[in-house]
Amino acid sequence: MNTYNMVKQEFIKKWITTLHMLDSSVEHPLNVTERKNAIRLSSDIAMAATRSGATIWSRALISRTRKYTTTCKPVAHRILKKARNRMKNRCTTITRNGIFGAKMRVRKRTELLKSLVPGGELIYDKDYLIRETLDYIVYLQAQVDVMRTVAAIDSVTRDLS
Amino acid sequence: MSSRRSSRSRQSSGSSRISDDQISDLVTRLQHLIPELRRRRSDKVSASTVLQETCNYIRNLHREVDDLSDRLSELLATTDDNSGEAAIIRSLLNY
Repeated sequence: MNTYNMVKQEFIKKWITTLHMLDSSVEHPLNVTERKNAIRLSSDIAMAATRSGATIWSRALISRTRKYTTTCKPVAHRILKKARNRMKNRCTTITRNGIFGAKMRVRKRTELLKSLVPGGELIYDKDYLIRETLDYIVYLQAQVDVMRTVAAIDSVTRDLS
Repeated sequence: MSSRRSSRSRQSSGSSRISDDQISDLVTRLQHLIPELRRRRSDKVSASTVLQETCNYIRNLHREVDDLSDRLSELLATTDDNSGEAAIIRSLLNY
């Protein structure tokens, strides 16, 4: 079994655990939004736990999610982040031309990348940031693949019942 | 070294904070991961393009996780007590 499949399998085990943990700590019944937040939260924690403490992004993600109980709003946080990124892109297009434009572009996009990778804003070394980014992307892909599979299975079993 | 004198790479050498070696290493590894970069040759891709495509890719993955969380919460909304389905999912995922 290759490394990526091992990552996905580990993620599944962790996700089942975090789902159980969250399930026993919340008051049922949940509305759709609370359920969505719980699913999102458990998935993020599971992804970070799969990587465990060896990277900055996984540690930052864990500490970030610890702030949220299931009644809080990770969704609002993401929306705020997206709004901030749109502002940064607007600044980039103004200085698009010339050599100074190129320097500015790299700097702006590096800042953007730092804001997207958990804990990225703490990393000053470019090489380190790149390595964290590559690592983070692999685990993000695993998270998406597994969630996609579960969603597909769930809709199939639903059609059959 | 002479290949780095093209106008495109002049933008990324020296003056930017990421070195050429780091860029070519990054491009090689990202090309395996990111669909957008797979069809471009590594010597023609600028530092800012690599960063931009990486950021776009991560953002798309974030959005997908969010959408999938939405979808899963809706799918599970009808039955709270779906221990049967949970068992099926668990056994199917035990590969």
